[in-house]
Amino acid sequence: MKKLLSLVKVSLNHDMNIFKINKKKQGKYSKIILPLCLIAYFMYIIAMYASLMMKNLMTTHLEYTILTIFALGVSMLCLMEGIYKSGTLLFNCKDDNLLMSMPISKRTILFIRMFKFYVFELLYNSLFILPVMLVYAYYMSPEVEYYLVSFVSLLLLPIIPIIISCIIGFIITYLSSHFKGKNIIQTILTIVFIFIFMYFMFRSEMLVSNFISNALSINNYIVKLYYPVGTYILLVNNFDVMTLITYILIHILIIIITLFVLSKIYFKVNSNSKKVIIDNKNKNYIIKTNSKAKAFIKKELNRFFSTPVFITNAGFGLVLFIIGCILFSLKFDMIVTSILEMNSSMTVEKITNQLPVLIFGLVCFGSLMTSITSSMISLEGGKINLLKALPIKPINIILYKVLTSLIIIIPCILIGNIILFIRFNLSFINILLILIATILIPTVTELIGIIINLKYPKIDASNDTEVVKQSMSSFLSTIIGMGLLGITICSLFILLDTGLNNNVIILLFLVIYLIIAFILIYILNKKCDKWFNNIT
Amino acid sequence: MIEIKNVTKKYGETIALNDVSFKINDGEIFAFIGHNGAGKTTLIKSMVGIHDFDMGDIIINGKSIKDDPIACKKDMAFVADNPELYENMKAIDFINFICDMYDVNEDMRNKNIHKYAKLFEIEDNLNDTIDSFSHGMKQKVALIAALVHEPKILVMDEPFVGLDPKAVFDVKKIMNEMVKEGKIVFFSTHILDVAEKLCSKVAIIKEGKLIKTGSMKDIKGDKSLEKVFLDLEG
Repeated sequence: MKKLLSLVKVSLNHDMNIFKINKKKQGKYSKIILPLCLIAYFMYIIAMYASLMMKNLMTTHLEYTILTIFALGVSMLCLMEGIYKSGTLLFNCKDDNLLMSMPISKRTILFIRMFKFYVFELLYNSLFILPVMLVYAYYMSPEVEYYLVSFVSLLLLPIIPIIISCIIGFIITYLSSHFKGKNIIQTILTIVFIFIFMYFMFRSEMLVSNFISNALSINNYIVKLYYPVGTYILLVNNFDVMTLITYILIHILIIIITLFVLSKIYFKVNSNSKKVIIDNKNKNYIIKTNSKAKAFIKKELNRFFSTPVFITNAGFGLVLFIIGCILFSLKFDMIVTSILEMNSSMTVEKITNQLPVLIFGLVCFGSLMTSITSSMISLEGGKINLLKALPIKPINIILYKVLTSLIIIIPCILIGNIILFIRFNLSFINILLILIATILIPTVTELIGIIINLKYPKIDASNDTEVVKQSMSSFLSTIIGMGLLGITICSLFILLDTGLNNNVIILLFLVIYLIIAFILIYILNKKCDKWFNNIT
Repeated sequence: MIEIKNVTKKYGETIALNDVSFKINDGEIFAFIGHNGAGKTTLIKSMVGIHDFDMGDIIINGKSIKDDPIACKKDMAFVADNPELYENMKAIDFINFICDMYDVNEDMRNKNIHKYAKLFEIEDNLNDTIDSFSHGMKQKVALIAALVHEPKILVMDEPFVGLDPKAVFDVKKIMNEMVKEGKIVFFSTHILDVAEKLCSKVAIIKEGKLIKTGSMKDIKGDKSLEKVFLDLEG
């Protein structure tokens, strides 16, 4: 037990510190105040949304369904993210050799890794669910049992999604280790599992779309379908000590069984994941010359496409954007009907006229929610010294990284655009402005990402998932991207109400984003060398 | 020529390098020795432009690493003690990448890649990804990448760690050849026998301060380098 506690302490200290940005002494601002402000801001936004929903639900006396929606939502989010995180968090970690050589059981090592995964998901889930629990308490003034049940549920909700994603992680790692291009196979399998999951989610989404009109039956359906959420709601509405104890014991039992079963094959799967299959047949190598930019971009693309968590993290948003564009094109009539039902002042003609601005908003969504550069410096790890020793200016290294990310992002946004251009009859000016936005807005996002990563690099991470999903840089980029998107969308709607011409509105935003891009390039030019050289 | 001029580097309150000054002339093999944590790697990383330093300057062939780092880096090659390479790249792609960064023309890279790959006996492995290599093989790839652009100055941090005896012999041979061509080889090592036999000059560093520097003959006199080093370290 002492060993286990010591291991938990060491690994949490080393890996879980999202705000551990570099070895240099950090100021009080970046260490405590900035993270706390960001967390408080994020939770405040969630609480605002929850409060709005709560007011609507109170009219039908179905207040507790807000807990159902958010508890189920965070469980789904946890499972979906877990599918592509579990492989890299459990297997082929940098501390494998150290831990495997020590007199510790494989079950303990697996437990430590799953526990780290759990703690992070618990913190992540809390950002979403805690404000909702507090909003419910504020409006409903429940008994003290509510707080006990909510606290227990907060701790238990991530467990089942983590266990399912760990099992999927085992399957993906085991299957991919049999192939030469295991990274590609791992990425494909991860995407397949995510799409299977999304298919089922989409089916339940169809049920949730009728939620307001038929909230009670949907709530009952979810409660029956998913035991942890169902029991939580049952305990909130009708507290019973025995049910609470059973609720806790079932989760503990699931953990024990999972650990017991998975630990039997953990060592084998982990060893296989390190196996490199060498193609001994092809001994001929090619020596060829490239320009610095081309060579660097090739290297960066190689890094991107050989890192499954990097592809799935960036690719997920981009694939969602393309799916969004397809759905927007196919279901446009349905969307128009829904808008007309919600807003009586709208007309079909008005919506059709505002289409270029809606498409511009969609491009902003696709561009601002995907940041590849926010992990690119951190992913260099120890190789940052290799880059520093090269006879290239840091600003060029940074710009090559930005360019690489744009090479990945812009074609995906373009695919979405082309689908929309084919479906809707837009003028030449509309198309031109949207195409400029397709280049300009991802450029701004990627410049922001690289500046944040230069300021907050995480060079000594144990695995790629920590960099891509659990670092200060990726967290900040997501928050800033969401903030910019929120401001842009709200401003778009305000400007549409003023009756301004569509092209003028889009042009206005393009000018603003162009100014932001110039400011970011100016900052990079001034500070890049210093920030880059300070990375240790 | 390399001139280290009053270089001081601090990590918070800790002084990693304390007013270090010495000079390395063309055609010299220079050994840099000291205990673990004495400041060897810090100075090497400062020389090759990986670290900055708080005071002083480092002049590489008449150019300051602070003022003109790119020009200085073009003349140098650096091999780290634990080579961190791009594991998912094929060895040949990695070497090609380094060649591109140093503007190595096709003739030179053809000649040198074949020459060094053959010498280090990894020609058959150049088409494999680096993650399939052992530590020693990675070190060999790092050495080829360092030598392929024919640097005027070769800086190495513990170059012999992990190499097989044949590769150690080859590296020593390359070092001697470079020196004959008037180039500089500067390396840190804990293997004092090698330093004693190979180097014309030596510097000993202790707790960030240079405690002895000069020609190998002057430093050790009739004693062995090991004895001198242990006496100085006290």
